[in-house]
Amino acid sequence: MEIFFQLLLNGIIAGSIYALIASGFSIIYSTNKFVHFAHGGVVALSAYVLYWLFSGLGLNFYISSLLTIAFAGFLGFIVYQFIYKPLRGKGASTSVLLIASIAILIFVESLNILLFGADIKTIKFLEIKQGLSIFGAIITPLQIFIIASSIILFFSLHFFMKKSKLGRAMRAVSGNKDVAEIVGIDSVKIFRWSFIIGSAIAGIAAVLVSLEQNIQPTMGTGLIIKGFTGAVIGGIGNVPGAILGSLILGLAENFGIWFLPSGYKDAIAFVLLFVFLLFRLQGILGTKFKKND
Amino acid sequence: MIEAYLIHLVILVSIYIILSISLQVSFGFSGLLNLGHVAFFGIGAYTSALLLLSGFSFIIAFSAALFMAGLFGGLLSILTRKLAGDYLALTTLGFSFVTYAVLINWKSVTNGPLGLPGIPRPEIFGFMFSNNLAFMFLVVSSALVSYFILHKITSSPFGRLMGATRDNELASQSLGKNTKKLKTISFVISACFAGVAGSLFASYITFIDPSSFTFVALIPLLLIVIIGGLASLPGTVLATIIIILIPELLRFVGLPSSVLGPIRQMLFATILLAILYYMPRGFYGKVDLE
Repeated sequence: MEIFFQLLLNGIIAGSIYALIASGFSIIYSTNKFVHFAHGGVVALSAYVLYWLFSGLGLNFYISSLLTIAFAGFLGFIVYQFIYKPLRGKGASTSVLLIASIAILIFVESLNILLFGADIKTIKFLEIKQGLSIFGAIITPLQIFIIASSIILFFSLHFFMKKSKLGRAMRAVSGNKDVAEIVGIDSVKIFRWSFIIGSAIAGIAAVLVSLEQNIQPTMGTGLIIKGFTGAVIGGIGNVPGAILGSLILGLAENFGIWFLPSGYKDAIAFVLLFVFLLFRLQGILGTKFKKND
Repeated sequence: MIEAYLIHLVILVSIYIILSISLQVSFGFSGLLNLGHVAFFGIGAYTSALLLLSGFSFIIAFSAALFMAGLFGGLLSILTRKLAGDYLALTTLGFSFVTYAVLINWKSVTNGPLGLPGIPRPEIFGFMFSNNLAFMFLVVSSALVSYFILHKITSSPFGRLMGATRDNELASQSLGKNTKKLKTISFVISACFAGVAGSLFASYITFIDPSSFTFVALIPLLLIVIIGGLASLPGTVLATIIIILIPELLRFVGLPSSVLGPIRQMLFATILLAILYYMPRGFYGKVDLE
């Protein structure tokens, strides 16, 4: 029974991190309607920026984190404004944009190796302390911090999307771009803001990931696959779905290694992704499914 | 010294030509956004390597690589027959992740991340292709035969039907053509030749590990197919030569190898983005990427 609670807890922690990545990705997808794989690259590069600010320049951790989040949002802006927008202007299909996003991801990962070296980096902020015991499961203060931050973020995001003018405009563009334009919403502006906000959430993810794990140049690929899988399980482009899907993924991975060798953890995500893409494209919460979309 | 280097380049280019013209069959001619080609390359390489290491002859290992890659290509194609566009792209990409995870984790067979060392060089009817010069002739002739076969297929009525289905599936169906079967066949052909390339690659390098078959390896392939122009075999060959040789020039700049690798990847990614923007149809492409 102790193992059960420990795996449950580990699953929730992993799921919270995936959910941060998946929700940023889903915000971008919901309005822009193409797969921004380079989202993982934004997380990885931001994690290095945090490392550079905190361990390199020796800034205060909270200031470093805020700067990192701002950097991530700015990076999202750059990527949209100088790569995706011109490509769209030339009439690029979503497949072209998907291929472009893979190219950006590889570019960013190689840049990380070039700038920071291939070795792993660690951020020593919250030291590993004796964990608390809940039903026999051990949870560290850092992990509580991760879960609490995620929950606060998800509620803020929910209110932002429901109540704020920008959030409502984003939902309008997501629902029907043409109708939104008729009522006077500038869709290009909304596309850009989705990138900035989605990428800033990637920056938050970067901060929490670098507290929990080592920073590696190619971590972006692994993270976006997890985030993307979470988004697909929940229903792609649906933010609450992305959060739910990511929690399911985190739990599936952690309970999976009860039965399988731990090396298969990643394989579980791949298999789930594959199965959902093949058999339930609309995910758990999604309803719309257009065959050739 | 310089000769050995040139032989190495010819072998590398020939293997990549087989790999990229085979991707062109599914990606270009049939318009199936196949991002899982590296997986078929890997399946071919592992099948061939494992059989050679168990003492089977090269002919058997080579044929098995072709067959296994084709088999998985067929299965993937049947499973994804309802998907198109982005979703097909992502599912095939997902397939390459699953393949990679299996290669890494199925340690009792694939030896996991440590890879398979000591893969023997081919021996065909008692002739041993042990030195690189002899191996070069084997690979170049395989590339020529592959080109010839794929050219025959794609310029046949069947090939034209692939193009027609890519441009307008409904129109092909209304002429009574079985487009699903056609797509599966083109996917299988594409995968088979990737398996062939994998078999030759494994025997040339004599050591394979899963890291050769990650999606980083996909970027140069996509680059070649798009620069060459979708549905153009001569363009693809030209593009392969250019894309494989450009990074070789970097070697002469005298950068340390730790810097060379990332710079090469960044160069590939930048060229790919530039091509998508300035020249989305590549050299000889007649169709757009839908």
